[in-house]
Parts: sequence; C-alpha cells; structure tokens
Amino acid sequence: MPVLDVISLSKRYGPTIGVEDLTFSAEPGEVLGYLGPNGAGKTTTIRCIMGMLAPTSGRTRVFGVDVRPGRATMHDRIGYLPGDFRIWPNLTARRALAVMAAIGGAGRQVRQRCEELATRLELDLDRPVEDLSKGNRQKVGVIFAFQTAPDLLILDEPTGSLDPLIRQVVWDIIREAAHGGATVLLSSHDLAEVAAVCERAAILRKGRLVELASIARIAGEGSHQLKIWFAEGTPVPAPPLDRLPNLRVLHAEGRMLHLAYHGSPDGVLRWAATHSVERISTPQASLEDAFVQYYNGDATAPAQSASPRSSSVNVGVKQE
Amino acid sequence: MNDGRLRPPFPFALLRFWTRQTLPAWCLIAGMIFVFQIAVCGTMHDNERVRALLSLLEMLPSFIKGMFGGDILQPGNTSALIAIGYQHPLVLVLFMVYAVGVPTGLLTGEVQRGTMELLLSRPATKTQVYVCAALPTVVGMFALTLVMFAGTVAGTRLFDFGMPIPLMSFFRTAATGGLMASAVGGVALLAAASFRRRSTAVGLTVAFLVLNHFVFVFAGWWPLLDSLRNVSLFAFVDGVRIFREHAWPLDDMGVLLALLLVAGVAGGIIWQKRDLPL
Repeated sequence: MPVLDVISLSKRYGPTIGVEDLTFSAEPGEVLGYLGPNGAGKTTTIRCIMGMLAPTSGRTRVFGVDVRPGRATMHDRIGYLPGDFRIWPNLTARRALAVMAAIGGAGRQVRQRCEELATRLELDLDRPVEDLSKGNRQKVGVIFAFQTAPDLLILDEPTGSLDPLIRQVVWDIIREAAHGGATVLLSSHDLAEVAAVCERAAILRKGRLVELASIARIAGEGSHQLKIWFAEGTPVPAPPLDRLPNLRVLHAEGRMLHLAYHGSPDGVLRWAATHSVERISTPQASLEDAFVQYYNGDATAPAQSASPRSSSVNVGVKQE
Repeated sequence: MNDGRLRPPFPFALLRFWTRQTLPAWCLIAGMIFVFQIAVCGTMHDNERVRALLSLLEMLPSFIKGMFGGDILQPGNTSALIAIGYQHPLVLVLFMVYAVGVPTGLLTGEVQRGTMELLLSRPATKTQVYVCAALPTVVGMFALTLVMFAGTVAGTRLFDFGMPIPLMSFFRTAATGGLMASAVGGVALLAAASFRRRSTAVGLTVAFLVLNHFVFVFAGWWPLLDSLRNVSLFAFVDGVRIFREHAWPLDDMGVLLALLLVAGVAGGIIWQKRDLPL
C-alpha cells in the first residue's frame, strides 16, 4: 500500500490553476523527488497533502487514510518542513522545537533525537531563533521535520540556504530515514539534491505533472546526446525525425544542432554525413538537461503525450 | 512506527504555550485595573474629593456625565460613585486592548508570522487550534472582570465608608461586564478568523466597539436616538438596574452570552472552512 497517494488532485484559486489532475504515489522507504520551477504548484500540492488547503477536486491519502482539510490527518506520523521555515523568533531553538514537539505529545526520545540532530548539523540550540543566521534557522527547520522520527517526511526545499557540507549531512539524514522505512517527498529546485537522494522524481510544470519516472530515466539513461556544428555557409538542416524515431532535437543555435537519441547512433550519423559537418561532440546527458528541456518545451506537449519523454522541443529548423 | 491517530488529542501544550504568551499582558492589565479600583475607592472615600469630582462632572456635557453614571452620581450615593471605576474610559480601553489583542495576536499573528503553517502540521486540527486561541481570550476577559471586582472588595476593606457596600451588586455588575467583554472577545475571534492581516482584524473589532459605545452614549443624550440604545452592546450592562433590583440581569446576560456563542462559533466555522493565507 502506498504511504502517500495523490489521486486526480486539482486546486484552483479562482480562475488560476494551482495544480491540475495530479496523480502519483510514494511507496514505503522511497524518496520521491518533486521538481518544478517557482509557481509550478509544488507547495500547493504539499499543502493539500497536509490538509492545509482544500482541493477543488480529487483527493490525497496518507497511510491509506483520506486527508480531510484542517483535520490533521495522521499528522502524528508526518514530519513537515515548509519552504519558508519561520518559527517564534524570541524563543531559543530548543524551546521552540520543544513546544512544537509537545503539541504531538512527544517525550524524552524526541529531545534526545533533537540533540543528536543538532550535533550533526552543528547547531547551537540555546540561541534565540532571531539571533540565528538564515542557514542556521534552516537547520532548526530540518530538526523540526525529523525530530519525531516520522514515517512520512514532506520536505519543501530542505537545503535551500545551507552550505555544501551541511547539505551533505542533511542528505545523509534523509537517506537514513528512508533506509529506516520512512517515505520522503522531497520538493526541490536543486537537481543535484534530487539526483543525490531520490530514486524517482515527479516533474511539475504549470500545475501539471509532466513526468514521473526514475532519476536515471529522467536524466537520460539509455539516451545520448550529440552536438553537430555544420560548416559555415551550409544551411542547418532539419533532421528526418519521421525516419529516425529514436531522435529528438533539444536545441538549435547558429550552426549548432543539439540532438538526443536512444540506441544506435548509426542513423543520425548517416544523416549527418550527407551534410557538410565541421565538428561533432557528445555531451553527457544530465538531470539538469532533462529539467531544462521540460521547461523550454511548449506547455502541452509532454502532458498530452503517452510518454512525456517522447516530446520534443520546437527549434524552428526546416524539415528535409 | 507510530500508531497514527485519525483524531488527534486536544493540544494542551499549545494551550499552555499561548496562555503563557498572553499571561504577561494579562497580569499587567489586571494589575492596572485592580489598583485603579482601589484608587477609585480611595477617592470616593474622601468627601472633599467627591465634591470636587462631582463639580467637575457637572461642568461636562450631560452625555459625558452619562458615561460615568449620570444623575445617580450624588454625594450620598457611595455605590454609584465607586461604580465609576467600572465605566471609566481607562478601564474600558484596558479591556479592549486585551479583548482585541489576544485573539488577533494568536490567530492572525501566527499566520502573519508564518508559524501557523508549522502548528497546523502538528497533530492538531484547525478547530483545536482555534479553541486554543479562544480559551485564553474568553477566560482571560472574564478573569479580568473578577480582578476588577476584587479591586473593589480590597478598596472597600482598605477605606471605611461608614455604611455597608452592596458587594453582591458589584459582583453582578462585574460578571455581566465580563460577559460583555467576552462577547467582544468573540467578535475579535470572528475577525481574526476571517481576515489575513492582523491590522484589519484589530481595526474592525475596534470600530465595532467604538460604534457601539457612541450609539450608547448618544442615544442616552439625544432623545431622538433613544430607540437605538438597545442596539448597543453597552446597553446590556445596566449597572443602575443591577443596583436597583439587587438581582441577576438574566435577560441581558442571555443576550451577551448568545452574542459570544454566535460570534465564537461563526469564527470557528470560518476558520475551519477557509484556506489560510500561509
């Protein structure tokens, strides 16, 4: 049974779409990345899961129980880190965390875990929150999410303002939680973070899910990239996409054509050889490339296609 | 793994935390009201000061004199003179500060501070969070009126008036005033649950109170507006009637209790239903 189930979830703010017809789930022990640019609907989704927003239609389930807005459904098993973490500034971090933990009826174990996490994150818990730097406040947020050893963690940009060393520590903490059986929904802009800790990722664009697949697949495992510079004076030809279904155009600029292909490069090389080529390079496909590709494309193609990976960008080159 | 509860237990930790947060303000206001009532008793105990005060009141327009008790303020009417302490603008302002400040500070304040999102991520329903804000408001307001009464008791013990003071009537007046103050707290809760900005909630509640007070004062002063008098919240704390009848004003108390419940429940429903601007 999935720990987290989002089923045909839609949320509208008047005429504005927050999220539209989202469906995905996360299994026990899984770290699911949730990617999207600002305004894509990540926080809206998370707040619907947390019961802080009432969906316009659809539903979310946690631990098999329907989430009802404002009812704190299963919140004693959920750890949450909001994107903009703010806690009572006049209290010490220790006191603020203790108050929050006490609302869930947490006891000595939580205090111990809080100490352990603070030690690992190199945070002085006895300083007032208002005296802490932005990064240290973010550490308080990480402790807030993890201190009750929850079974489901919903983290919105957990390492946004942390230095690289502490980011690694947070990633370790996330991995350890997942190894211990916890499910993690990790919303992030940071592709390195998602690549480092997630097995799968969902990509959101303008409120719609455009991809849900393993990181390896999204990053282009099994696909390769090719950059071809055509000789000066030669018009850049459009590749025969109808004859080469394993080929996609990622980008075109000047005399350069950036292509991605699956399987053998034989077809594309034969086609390139019919033109005057100056140079060829084979860049490494990355999650960032995939991410940028999703956001440079037109708004509907990936969502409409049966397999979002088969969508291509419109580069404006002429077909042969 | 935890068990996972569908209906979380009441978050007493949040209630304790918010009560502690409001306690310094409550203690300060309670202390000022208590000392003020003793000072009123001390003033009214001295015949020379009473005469000076009454001659000062005589110089003021009748509607202002009406705010302090009107024609019942006579040198021999000690109870009416002590009761000035219950209607003094300073006391009303202190009550207003607490009634408006606490619910808006706890609900809208936490939303604006960004901490409400954290609170709602803990095992506490929105309704429970609302109740945690309502309790310090309503109980705190009522307790303030008891402190006011305690100030009168202390004042009458400290100063000898040479005649029995009907403390039970003062208690009834204080309790009815407490209900009115709690009703204002209910209106403030409703405003706090309905608006995203604390300033809006505070402004509307203060406007509601000021409007009620002016309707009450002007209706007593201008006969043409007399019919409006009973529209005002302040008409339901009728000290003159309480002292005259020596009985609980159950009808007035019923109206105030109904307003408290209606405003409080309406605020709770709005709070539960609306998407908070987190």
